[in-house]
Amino acid sequence: MKPDLRVDIAGVTFKNPVLTASGTFGYGEEFADLIDLDALGGIVTKSITLHERPGHPPPRTCETAAGMLNAIGLANVGIERFIDEKIPFLKTLDTVIIVNVAGSTIGEYVEVCRRLEKAGHVDMIELNVSCPNVDEGGMEFGTDEASLIRIMTAVREVTTRPIIAKLSPNVTSIVAMARAAKEGGASAVSLINTLVGMAVNVHDWRPSLSNTTGGLSGPAIKPVAVAMVYKVARAVDIPIIGIGGITTPADAVEFHLVGARAIQIGTANFIDPDAGMKIIAGLRQYLAERRLGSIHDIIGKVKTSS
Amino acid sequence: MKKIIPQYCSIADNRRLDADGRYFRLKVADFKPVRPVYPGQFVHIKVADAYDPFFRRAFSIADYDPATRRLEIIYKVVGKGTSTLAIRRKGDSLDVLGPLGNRFSAASKTKTVALVAGGIGFPPLIYLAKALLSRGFSGDQLLFFYGGRTKTDLIELRRIRALGVHVFPCTDDGSYGFKGFVTEAVMQRLADANPKGVYIYGCGPEPMLATLQESAMRRGYAGELSLEAPMPCGVGVCLGCIKPTLDNPRKYVRVCYDGPVFKLGEVKL
Repeated sequence: MKPDLRVDIAGVTFKNPVLTASGTFGYGEEFADLIDLDALGGIVTKSITLHERPGHPPPRTCETAAGMLNAIGLANVGIERFIDEKIPFLKTLDTVIIVNVAGSTIGEYVEVCRRLEKAGHVDMIELNVSCPNVDEGGMEFGTDEASLIRIMTAVREVTTRPIIAKLSPNVTSIVAMARAAKEGGASAVSLINTLVGMAVNVHDWRPSLSNTTGGLSGPAIKPVAVAMVYKVARAVDIPIIGIGGITTPADAVEFHLVGARAIQIGTANFIDPDAGMKIIAGLRQYLAERRLGSIHDIIGKVKTSS
Repeated sequence: MKKIIPQYCSIADNRRLDADGRYFRLKVADFKPVRPVYPGQFVHIKVADAYDPFFRRAFSIADYDPATRRLEIIYKVVGKGTSTLAIRRKGDSLDVLGPLGNRFSAASKTKTVALVAGGIGFPPLIYLAKALLSRGFSGDQLLFFYGGRTKTDLIELRRIRALGVHVFPCTDDGSYGFKGFVTEAVMQRLADANPKGVYIYGCGPEPMLATLQESAMRRGYAGELSLEAPMPCGVGVCLGCIKPTLDNPRKYVRVCYDGPVFKLGEVKL
């Protein structure tokens, strides 16, 4: 018997728990030549803002030990072109489409969500309240509970779609932020976004990124992410999508064990465009080898003594 | 349509080309791309199955023979990625993704074609010269300017000469051939040519390409430049390998996906 990988979050059914993380998968179409997009549980788009953004000047990325720093600066086509040019492709896919939304003011987030609501063909919204790389907005909304509740509540009013709050690890208490997201009307939380990091070139003494600091991602941050998912899962009754350095099927299993209902593949997409496919197959094999019938047989089943 | 996925290929050869061990030739066996391979494209190689170095490394294609499925890359050891690749041995398996990126377009057969290579920029121009010759260009029409700092940088001079094209070796220190920058040699040699009859293909370090771009545009030549940049993904999604455009410095192009080959006046260098 083939193990059942289906999961449900806020009434949306995913054929498997493997999604692609925002900012690592473009608008989906870039990967059409590389993988079978319909095999994925879902696709999370690049962050969409009200207006088109060129992003930061180069250098925008920097390799680190078992990971990378990035400061792209939310480069994207803007909501208008996203609806006109990107949704027509996305709507041909047989997978869950989640649009990641970012902005510098609450009004911008609200306006983008209002237009997405009208455009249709979007299954869920993921609110980026955790981008460490823009001066205004972004992470500011995700590091203060009152701001997070305010923005969630405002967006909640203009969309019928389930909202996922993507949380920042750059906070004192991730649990407090998850609670605030829930109070504001989030149907789920995804965590973690990148950790603030910096690298300096020792030859010319300049920061390795034009933005000076950036977001650290990749296998290097996985233990931090696992701990945060674990803490939120124990403290807050809300579906969790685990993110942070997931590269192998075993990494995905780890996140499920600490309570993630679904997971997102991020930086691994850069190294291996096929990473999502391998993780889906690997999860199925992991369950089959243990005669487990469903992914739910491992979700939250970590054996801690406390 | 078949998907371009990473393939494990075996290393047929990986040997150094010079006494100092700076330049290497890598030959990969059983490379079975699902799309045709063209001059100007690149492969994205995971130099070790490890998290460090973390990213793949992009290498231009020096040759590919579909009959033998042998892929050739020539590289210079400059950092962590290339030094890790340099210790891989014959028989090891290597994770190769590609071919990726766009390609050189074919110049009109009426043109005098200048292939301008600086430093380690020559490999894709060898592959291009071969392709142009097989498309019916005569060796007389193809001028291969091959520049390096010093004589020992011109590691593939013999092979380029064997192509049957006009070769113009240049060294910054004058230890071999023309003394000076390769871009100066190009401009001198083409001084009397009708600018409308010239087509430039350039690949090399960015300062050289910037000079080539400026002087070629001033003369009114058309052509293409192949760029290099650190590429986290190689497939156009991470937006890490961007360059500003000449028309609008706030508009960016992706070297991996919109390039690596760009029209002569497209990118701000």
